[in-house]
Amino acid sequence: MIEARHLTKRYGSHVAVSDLVFTVGAGEVVGFLGPNGAGKSTTLRMLSGYLGPSSGDALIAGINVVDEPLLARQKLGYMPEECPVYPELRVSEYLRFRAELKRVARSRRTSAIGRALELAGLSERQGSIVGHLSKGYRQRLGLADALLSDPPLLILDEPTSGLDPNQIREVRAVIRGLAEQHTVLLSTHILPEVEVTCDRALVIHRGHLVAQGSLEELRSRGAARSAVLVVRVPTELTLPEALKTRRTAKRALDGGYEEWEVAVDNGRDGLAALSEQLWQLGISVAEARLGGARLEEVFLELTRTEPLAS
Amino acid sequence: MIGFWAILKRELWSLWVTPLAWVLLFVFLGLQGTSFYLLVEHFSKSPDLGLNEGPIQSYFASLFVPVSLLLVCPALSMRVFADERRQGTLETLLTAPVSALSVVLGKYCATLFTYWAMWLPTLLYVVILRDSGVVDWGLVGSSYLGVALLGAAYLAVGTLMSALTQSQLVAMLLTTLTLFGLFILGIGERVFDPGPLLDVSSHVSVLGQLEDFSKGVVDSRRLVFDATLIWFPLFLCVRIVDGWRLD
Repeated sequence: MIEARHLTKRYGSHVAVSDLVFTVGAGEVVGFLGPNGAGKSTTLRMLSGYLGPSSGDALIAGINVVDEPLLARQKLGYMPEECPVYPELRVSEYLRFRAELKRVARSRRTSAIGRALELAGLSERQGSIVGHLSKGYRQRLGLADALLSDPPLLILDEPTSGLDPNQIREVRAVIRGLAEQHTVLLSTHILPEVEVTCDRALVIHRGHLVAQGSLEELRSRGAARSAVLVVRVPTELTLPEALKTRRTAKRALDGGYEEWEVAVDNGRDGLAALSEQLWQLGISVAEARLGGARLEEVFLELTRTEPLAS
Repeated sequence: MIGFWAILKRELWSLWVTPLAWVLLFVFLGLQGTSFYLLVEHFSKSPDLGLNEGPIQSYFASLFVPVSLLLVCPALSMRVFADERRQGTLETLLTAPVSALSVVLGKYCATLFTYWAMWLPTLLYVVILRDSGVVDWGLVGSSYLGVALLGAAYLAVGTLMSALTQSQLVAMLLTTLTLFGLFILGIGERVFDPGPLLDVSSHVSVLGQLEDFSKGVVDSRRLVFDATLIWFPLFLCVRIVDGWRLD
């Protein structure tokens, strides 16, 4: 449904998004994960046709967004991050305008608006002036707008930001419900959101795609480092290379020692082997932390380090 | 041109449900009413004037018309793009399957139709004059054509300026400055000695156009000037809107 082909966006010398390559298959719900400023919105804007890529292109349902922007935009419903809407219109007036703009046939407009209102949980507010809506309801209006033309693809930029916990749960349920008939790409920096709503995630950091895969696959990346040993190492000690490459953090201590965090792989077996190796070198283990393979840790690790320059 | 009608309707709606159009209409009709009253009073004291110097000619050729256009047109067009950009609604608009041409023309036509609608009540003045004398409908027609075209050109410039900034105030000031500059250049028609400067001045003269049209002289040179002043800013505006995607 989406095929990003070396999408790149530069602002002067600053590279906001660099050489993004990924695909989203039909019917998938994919989370687009990354810290604030990672390039999530820029990427989604390029896919939705709001921004032109500096290089590369993308296909939406097989249609090139750069060459045939109007056709491609007909295939998607896009909900921008801040959900900007015209404050002077009523909810139903706004959706009628958007339906006409999105070429929903005149005979189907009323039913399409009704359906979108219902899915977004806005039915009882259709007479409200948009400018008087709370942030949560505005967000729902953005969602209703994206759903209007019943497009095969939905691109939602932080659909739950600014909502209260109840609303978040409702919106997530809506998105899950949509997954049966739509392909959804949603961006977020909230990890539980991905775990609740998505089948697969793309992790972006400083404009680079640093990981992608099913949630299981991503978690298993974390499983490879399911424990960390904190060890005290004399500064002058020469260590085997194998040990050095496992080091994830270092801190100097008084008295000619350094404190290291050493990652352990293969769960308990690896822990035993590594402890033995350290013991033989005369390094004492100060602390052992067993961590479950949580998406959050994987995410933190992926987005803490500097990505390789392209 | 898909999306044009939807955008036109939305723009008209937004103009008339907010106070802006009504305030402008009030200011505009206030000025026109004052102008008409002063003229009628003036002519009632000198009843033996020729047809070519009747109140309708004087009304359309008076300074009140360009002044009210300079006040109303920039204010009418200032928000069309500046407001969309400031509110961020441009993103939802431009991610709908509509072309930049539809967006620009839809917005422009909304301000244009509003401007034309503002002139409608002034037809009453003609009706009033008809009761007390002969009205040459040809002159009335050409006079209205003159102000309709001039306003169309002013609004096209305003639409372009609104696309250049996110601030409505800056858009209005830029438009007013440009149009006022053009107006001043046109006054050169009455100042410069014969030569290229005079040619340019008389070509762009707003007062000259209003005077000509109010006498029933519809010069193709004026029509070309107006068409250029409508087409060129709108063309640039479409390019700018398209260019936003490449920012």
